Amino acid sequence: MREGMARIWTVASKELVDFVRDWRTLVALVLVPLLIFPLFFIALPLFMQGEMSELDQYYLDLEVQLADGDELPDALSQPFADHRLNQTVTTLDPNLSNLSDTGDDAVRIQNGEIHVILRLRSSQSNSTESWDYAILYDATQELSSEARSRVFNVIEAWEDDIINATLAESNLTREEALDPIHWDGDFGQANVATSAQIAGFALSMFIPMIVAIWTASSAIQPSVDLTAGERERGTMEALLCTPARRVELLYGKWLAVATVAAGSVLFQMLGLLIAVSFLLPADTFGVPELSVGAIASLLLSVVLFAVFVVAIELALAVRAHSVKEAGTVLGPVVLAFIVPAMFAQFVNLEGIEWWWFVAPVFNVCLAMREALLDITDLTHVALWLGSSLFYAIVAVTWAAKQFQREDLVESIS
Amino acid sequence: MSRTILSVRGVSKSFGDVHALKDVSIDFHRGDVVGLVGGNGAGKTTLLRLLCGLYQPTEGEVVHLDKSGIEHPVAEVRSNLGVVPESTGLYARLTAWENIRYHSRLNGISDKQAWNRTFRIARELDIEDDLQRPTRGFSRGMRQKTALIRALSHDPELLLLDEPTGGLDVTSARKVRALVRKLGEEGRTVIYSTHKLNEAEEVCDRIIIIHNGTLRADGTPAELMGETDAPTLEEAFVRLTQDASREVETPEPASKFQQFWSRLTTRVRKPPGNGGENDA
Repeated sequence: MREGMARIWTVASKELVDFVRDWRTLVALVLVPLLIFPLFFIALPLFMQGEMSELDQYYLDLEVQLADGDELPDALSQPFADHRLNQTVTTLDPNLSNLSDTGDDAVRIQNGEIHVILRLRSSQSNSTESWDYAILYDATQELSSEARSRVFNVIEAWEDDIINATLAESNLTREEALDPIHWDGDFGQANVATSAQIAGFALSMFIPMIVAIWTASSAIQPSVDLTAGERERGTMEALLCTPARRVELLYGKWLAVATVAAGSVLFQMLGLLIAVSFLLPADTFGVPELSVGAIASLLLSVVLFAVFVVAIELALAVRAHSVKEAGTVLGPVVLAFIVPAMFAQFVNLEGIEWWWFVAPVFNVCLAMREALLDITDLTHVALWLGSSLFYAIVAVTWAAKQFQREDLVESIS
Repeated sequence: MSRTILSVRGVSKSFGDVHALKDVSIDFHRGDVVGLVGGNGAGKTTLLRLLCGLYQPTEGEVVHLDKSGIEHPVAEVRSNLGVVPESTGLYARLTAWENIRYHSRLNGISDKQAWNRTFRIARELDIEDDLQRPTRGFSRGMRQKTALIRALSHDPELLLLDEPTGGLDVTSARKVRALVRKLGEEGRTVIYSTHKLNEAEEVCDRIIIIHNGTLRADGTPAELMGETDAPTLEEAFVRLTQDASREVETPEPASKFQQFWSRLTTRVRKPPGNGGENDA
């Protein structure tokens, strides 16, 4: 027993040293998961800001079509120019069934002849001014959509002015007319959930899925390298000639891959924690405050899931004769973990049926959600813990069986 | 004390329809340096893998006998076995010493013992200065030497060497041959698979010729030459193997669909232990 444990540790530590010495593995399994969220939170807003300001620089062509007898209101002309819209005024086709009827203008917009068309027709009402309008644009063209957005902003501002003027004529303020039932005090203050609880709730909506995806995908490369890779490089034959039993070799490799996969996920969580603590604006959400039990539950669910996933991926990779073959098999297998993890985000925790906590993948994802919400239901804990252990044992047993295959010694290289 | 250390008894090994070995019986004796000689696909690698317990025989048995004559399955006495596969099986990111230490730890040997033994053999093979270098940049010869040291680091009684001088220059090959002879003189049993008949003649006390999965001859070089009335061992080998041709069943002609399906589903892989660079 002691000798067996020593051999398992020898294999695991050698594999871990082998991983650490490969800078590509370090980048893929440590640096990328650690930096992905901080970079995402910094780079995405910067990128979006850059793209928006790039679009802002364009002068876009606007055609204003006015009904016969109408004139372009002064309140629109200058704002259009301020919004970098080159405006031309034409007469509205009187045969249109309504202003949204695109007619022949559809072709002109699609050809890029004009970016956007504003149709205006004055109408009668008790307001100071009243108009019917429609904006014709092509949603599949970026510049056309941008032009529509600018026209819409100008129209909204103009409408606000008309509403204010109409209300002023009746001696009413905007608040009196449009907000007769109004909130008193700070809207956010009325929510009894703490910011930490809100953070936990928000994170529970995507962390389990990220954990499932990352565990499944980060275990692929080491699983393949330690099995099919060893076969292909010819190192497996020499290893199998040692007194170490095959099951000990498997456990050693499995321990190494599970450590790497779980470590990679934990690095990713750390990166996320850093991002939400320091990079997100203060009014989004903060760091969840979790009890010791919730943290233990979270870590245990990650570890058990890693054990389960790694065993399955190792077992499948062992059956392959080459790295290429193993990659081809394991690629689609990741979907088997990702799809249930995605569905698990939408399962209602209120009144949830017990069997969700024994369904593979679902059980761990739901356990993580409950942990992040600081929900402690001992029945649920017993169910997901028991079922996860069961699946992990079954997966490891299957992997051990695959490792007994006689053809393990052969490779196509 | 039992003279026999390893006994192969009526062993056949098949992989599906491929009969890699047919009814082979051999006794290996303590202190013998035995050459395993045969052409490509003869079945040498399959036999070596059976000898170290990587394969289980389809028929027959392979047993290890301790000095008292008690029989053990080979897989249970691997700590008494040193193996150098043809691929050498070294980890590129580990140093030569780390590769050796990894196997010696799996053999239950302390690092100190393994280092002392490693350094002594490395000096004999002239690679003591390279022990702390990663094996990534090693030449074929250095890899072979490292694998040989690894196989010896736990002081096994029985050594299985698959083409141990393959890829070595003349001087290095001579050193390896000298080491193998010395191991034989120390009382170790060495089973030495090789293509080179002159090398087998120089190093081995006994030569076993395998052809098409069958045992063709077993004796000293002089006995084999006498048996075939040949002036050289090479000529003896040719005479012992030229009459044999693989029995091949003529397959029924495949339909066009079968040919198409076969092209789609056939894996590009050699039958286990037959042909390719892993074989002799």
